[in-house]
Amino acid sequence: MELTLNHYVGLSALLFTIGVFGIFVNRKNVIVILMAIELILLSVNINLVAFSVFNGDIAGQIFAMFVLTVAAAEAAVGLAILVVYFRTRGAIAVEDVNVLRG
Amino acid sequence: MNLITDLQNSAPEAALAIIGLAAVLIGAIVGEGSRLLIRTIAVAALAGAAVLAAQQYGSGRLEAFGALYVATPFVAFAKIGLYALAAISLLVSGKSLKEAAVDRYEYPLLILFAALGGGVMLSANSLMTLYLGVETLSLPSYVLAAFRRDHVRSAEAGLKYFVLGALASGLLLYGCSLVYGFTGSASYDVIAEADLSIGLTFGMVLIIIGLAFKASAAPLHVWTPDVYAGAPTPVVTFFATAPKLAAVAVFANVMFSAFNGHETDWSPIIAIIAALSMIIGSLGALTQSSLKRLLAYSSIANVGFALIGLAAGVEVGASAILVYMAIYVVGTLGLFVGLLTIRKDGEPLDTIDDLNGLAKAKPLVAFGMTVLIFSVAGIPPAAGFWGKLAVFQAGLEADLLWLVLVGVVASVISLGYYLRVVWAMMVKPSDSTLDRSDWVEVAAVVGASVAVFPVLTITIQSLLDAAASATLG
Amino acid sequence: MPLIAFYILGAIVALSAVLVVAARNPVHSVLWLICAFFTSAGLLVLIGAEFLAMLLVVVYVGAVAVLFLFVVMMLDVDFVELKQGFQNYVVSGAAIALILFAEIGVIAASIGPGSNATMDPSPGADTNAEAIGAVLYTDYLLLFQLAGLILLIAMIGAIVLTLRGRPRAKRQNIAEQTGRKRKDAVELRDVRPGEGV
Repeated sequence: MELTLNHYVGLSALLFTIGVFGIFVNRKNVIVILMAIELILLSVNINLVAFSVFNGDIAGQIFAMFVLTVAAAEAAVGLAILVVYFRTRGAIAVEDVNVLRG
Repeated sequence: MNLITDLQNSAPEAALAIIGLAAVLIGAIVGEGSRLLIRTIAVAALAGAAVLAAQQYGSGRLEAFGALYVATPFVAFAKIGLYALAAISLLVSGKSLKEAAVDRYEYPLLILFAALGGGVMLSANSLMTLYLGVETLSLPSYVLAAFRRDHVRSAEAGLKYFVLGALASGLLLYGCSLVYGFTGSASYDVIAEADLSIGLTFGMVLIIIGLAFKASAAPLHVWTPDVYAGAPTPVVTFFATAPKLAAVAVFANVMFSAFNGHETDWSPIIAIIAALSMIIGSLGALTQSSLKRLLAYSSIANVGFALIGLAAGVEVGASAILVYMAIYVVGTLGLFVGLLTIRKDGEPLDTIDDLNGLAKAKPLVAFGMTVLIFSVAGIPPAAGFWGKLAVFQAGLEADLLWLVLVGVVASVISLGYYLRVVWAMMVKPSDSTLDRSDWVEVAAVVGASVAVFPVLTITIQSLLDAAASATLG
Repeated sequence: MPLIAFYILGAIVALSAVLVVAARNPVHSVLWLICAFFTSAGLLVLIGAEFLAMLLVVVYVGAVAVLFLFVVMMLDVDFVELKQGFQNYVVSGAAIALILFAEIGVIAASIGPGSNATMDPSPGADTNAEAIGAVLYTDYLLLFQLAGLILLIAMIGAIVLTLRGRPRAKRQNIAEQTGRKRKDAVELRDVRPGEGV
C-alpha cells in the first residue's frame, strides 16, 4: 500500500471532528474554543493542500495560504476582543455571559 | 487581461479600497482631529461606490482578475443597496456615536471596509474570493460589535459574535475545501459543471450552514438577538441593513451560480431553513420587551421570507429575493434610526415602554415609524406587502404551497408584536421626556417611510421591473 | 516508507489535537497546539508541499501560538473553574463527534483508489515555491491584495479595541534627548578638602 489522498482526507476529517468536539465540551473556556477553531482551520489546510497536490492543481495551495493569513488576522482580532471582555468583566468564563440572555 | 481593465470592471470595490487606504493614512497622521473629515470621506466614497455599482448594473456581466471577480446585474443590484445603506447608516450615526463616547475616526473606516468586503463576496466567482470577501466583512463586524469597549454588554456581544462567527467561517471553509477537492476547482463556473458526488453534497451542506449563519437564518440565528441587544445601536443599524442584504444576496448567488445544477438537492434544505426562520423569528419576537431584540427576531423571520424565494429556484425566485430584501432593509433602516432618536440624558433607551407617547413627543418620528412597521409587517397598502407577495408568488410557482402557508401563518403571528409597538407609540401615555433628536435622524426616518409609503406605487413598480431584469445574466 | 512516516506523524497530530481540547491548563493546550502544527508541517513535507509547510511553522508557531501564549499568561484566569462542566459534555460530545467523523469518513473512503496518479506538488515549475510564486502575484493578484487588506483591518481592529492612551504615561522624547547639551547635565564644582559641596 502506498500513501494516497484518502489518508490525508481521513486525517483532516479526524482533526475537524476533534475541533468540533473541543468546542462542544469546552463551552466555558473561550481560549480553548479559539484553539479548537484553529484546529478546524488546520484540518482545512491539510485538506486543501492534499487535494492540491494529488490533483496536480496549484490553486489549493494558494487557497491554503490565504486561509493561513486570515487565520492569523482572526486570532489577533479574537484575542483583542477577549482582552476587552476580560477588562470589563474580570473573567472569561462563557457562562458568565448572561447579561445578554436568549 | 491588463490591470486597467480589471480595475475598471471592479470599479466600486477598487475605488472603495483606494479611498479607504487614503483615509487610514489621513487618520494615522492627523489623529482624532480628523473624525469629521474621515466620516465625510467614507460617506462620499460609499455613495460613489453605489453610483459605480449602478453603472455595473447597466453593463451586463463584467469579469475581472481572471474571472475571480464577476459582476452580474443580480449582484450589482444588491451592491447598490449595500453601499447606499452603509452610507446612510454612517451618515445618521454621528450624534449617537458622540453621546456613547465612541466617536473615533476608526469607526467610519471599519464600516467602509466591511461594506467593501460585502461587495467582494457578492462579486465572487470563486470560493477563494467568496471566503476572503466574507472575512473582510466579518472581521470589522466583530470589532464594531465590541466598539463600545468599556461597556460590558458591548464587549460581550463582540465576544459572542466572534466565537460563533469564527466557527461558522470554519464550517464554511471546510465545505469549500471539500467542494474544491471533489470538483477540482474553486471557480463557480467549473463547480456548476461538476456531477454530484458525496463529497460535493457534504461540502455544499457545510457551505449552506456557513452562509445561513452569516444571514442569521434559523437554526443558526442564536447570535442575532444577543449581538443586536449588546452592540451599540448605530452599529446595529448597519448590521441589520447593509450586511443583511449582502448576506442574503450572496447566499442566493452562490446557490444559483455554483450549485444551480443540483437545485433539487438543496432546495428542500433551504425550504426547511426558511420555514424554521419564519416560525422561530415570529414566535421569539412575541415575548421580547427590548426593541432591539424584537427587531433581531423580526429580522430572522424576514430572512426566512426572503429564503422562500431562494427555495423557489433561480427562474422565479431571483428577482423576488431582491425585491423583498430591498424593501425590507429600507424599512429596518428607518426603524433602527427611529430607535436612535429615542434617548434620554444621552443614554439610548431600548424597551417598548420607552416608546410610550412618542406620537406626542416626536410626531414626525412616530408617524414615520408607524408607516415603516406596516411595511415590515407586510400590511397591504405599504411596500412590504408587495415584497411578500413577490416571494409568495415565487413559492407558489415552484409548488412550495406548504412553505407559503407557513409564511402566511408567521405573518399573522408577527402582527401581534408589530401592533404592540404601534400601540405603545400612538395610544399609551408618556411618562418621561426624551432628548431632542438630530435633524439627520428625523430626515432618515421620514425619508425611509416615504420610500415605502403606499401612495408611491410607481417606485414599487420600477423596483419590480429593475429586479426582474436583474436575474443572473 | 512514506506510509509509515504518515502513520507516525498522523498519530502525533491526532493525539496533540485531543490534548489541545482536553488539557487542564490552557498553557499546555497552546503547547500541544504548537506540537500539532509542527507535525502537520511534517505531513505536508511528506507530499512535497514544502512552502506551505514552512508557512505553517512560521505563521502558526511563530505568530499565532505566541499570541495565544501571550494572552493566556496576561489574563489572570482561574483555570480550575473553567474546566467545570467538562465531564458533563464529554459523553454527548463524543457521540456527536463519532457521528460527524463517520459521515466525513465515508467521504474520505469515497475517493477511488489510484487517485495519486496525477500527484504533483509543484505543477509547471521545478520547485514548490516557484510554482506558488508564479501565480500568486499574477493570477491571484486580487486575492493577494485582499489578504493584505484583511491584515490591515485586523491591525486597526486590535489597536482600536485595546490601545488606551494614558495621559500620565512616561514616553521617550527623542528630540529632547538628543538636543541635550553637556552644560544641562553636568556641573563642575571645585570641591576643596574638608568643605563639602
